[in-house]
Amino acid sequence: MPPKQTTLRLRGHSFAPERLLVMAIVNRTPDSFFDAGLTWEESAAMERVHQVIADGADIIDVGGVPAAPGQQVDVTEEIRRTAPFIAAVRGAYPDVAISVDTWRHEVAAEVCAAGADLVNDSWGGRDAKLPAVVAEYGAGLVCAHVGKQQPRTRPFRVRYPDVMADVIEATERLAARALEAGVDRAGIVVDAAHDFGKNTWHSLEVTRRLAEMTATGWPVLVSVSRKDFIGETLDLPLQDRLAGTLATTSVCAWLGGRIFRAHDVAQTRQVLDMVAAIKGDQPPARAVRGLT
Amino acid sequence: MIIAAALCPSPPLLIGDLTGAACVLPELRLACEQAVAGLLAARPDVVAVVGAGERTMVADAAARLDVAAFAPGIGGAVSARKDTLPTSLGVGGWLLDQAGYAGERLLRSVAHSESAQRCGRIGADLAAGSAKTALLVLADGSACRDLKAPGYFDERSHGFDAEVERAVRAGDVGALLAIDAGLASELMATGRPAWQVLAGALRGKRLTTQIGYCDDPFGVAYLVASLRVG
Repeated sequence: MPPKQTTLRLRGHSFAPERLLVMAIVNRTPDSFFDAGLTWEESAAMERVHQVIADGADIIDVGGVPAAPGQQVDVTEEIRRTAPFIAAVRGAYPDVAISVDTWRHEVAAEVCAAGADLVNDSWGGRDAKLPAVVAEYGAGLVCAHVGKQQPRTRPFRVRYPDVMADVIEATERLAARALEAGVDRAGIVVDAAHDFGKNTWHSLEVTRRLAEMTATGWPVLVSVSRKDFIGETLDLPLQDRLAGTLATTSVCAWLGGRIFRAHDVAQTRQVLDMVAAIKGDQPPARAVRGLT
Repeated sequence: MIIAAALCPSPPLLIGDLTGAACVLPELRLACEQAVAGLLAARPDVVAVVGAGERTMVADAAARLDVAAFAPGIGGAVSARKDTLPTSLGVGGWLLDQAGYAGERLLRSVAHSESAQRCGRIGADLAAGSAKTALLVLADGSACRDLKAPGYFDERSHGFDAEVERAVRAGDVGALLAIDAGLASELMATGRPAWQVLAGALRGKRLTTQIGYCDDPFGVAYLVASLRVG
């Protein structure tokens, strides 16, 4: 029997094992791939926070550096983009979990001091000093698989003898490193990181075999929203990838994913509530059909 | 003795199935097919396939590209495979298979870190034997030619690739041997060692070059060329 999923704890926030969580993307960047600067202004970003919370977000994921290569963003600038904003969100919503999308320990220290609960290290543990900082603040940590890819680069002819085996090996190794650094066991999350260090076939494979990852017992973060593997699979541009995103979300939720990082929060919430009901983890909102 | 040479890039997307339902870059595939056909028309005793890889070595001639390493689900079962052949040689071998070539083949990989001098020597050794040898060289230009390129945009890439193209067109083996390995690496031009093996193999020969394809549709410089000797 694989280890059971347990309660996820992100500083003061606890989430039961059967609860499927929406992590809403809020970019503090002028050039991220999907929203392209929509929430670059602080007021617009806060407006989006109000909206995604109303739409059912459980976690707000704030990012100051786009994943794609482009304009350099140094540590100072990344902190300037994220820390004051996180402090503002913390003040406005004490009960919502806040995540920061960063790979740098200096940034993690500043944002955790400002109130962040989870460090979403989507570049797979490039900064060895990160786990100790996360531990110091009692925050959670995302351990992601990126293969050999360096931050803010694109995959180039990547190949794996067995991509899922590589994902599990790498994320378990990062989780062990986090534990060793003193990170709260209940706050460690793993992420296959679709598209990162992967071609479309690899991302489809990790989706198909996600149950192998959830079987490790670590809560699995699923980050697929509007990504290129969906675009390539359906041959659709960014703005037309919602259906593909939701289909992938639904499959991953069925296979045991716990946290779903999303641009389209209301739709993702609906999909997760539907899957939770199909699984039997959550009752229908209102069932009267044939019952009257 | 080298009787003919062909230069092809080695993006995995040349392997038809890897691009899914779409036929991607049919003109590049056709150019590679024609270059290989030209090579085989010279009736070689052996085809030496040369490309960059992790190590300098001669691979098992029976080895083939591990397609499942790029596309799990279409390339066979995971457990039964060994992922050893470099992509460059794997693509070269695949092109030979596509052409129906069943004769002798030599799969020669050259480490990414190998010096120009050493690459030239490996090329000279390939040319030294008495067997009529056709060279199939798998080499890619820079991968930094625009903002969407795998390596993002590097303004040095265009000059770099233009010089390689010029040298290949002119049969200027000295210029190929003089390619700066450090710059090539920064530009993700993985073909550098293979170009230099080609140069070493053809040094002192009169060459006639025909270019079959020269473009960068995904921000990576692809060059297909047929080199006739004498």
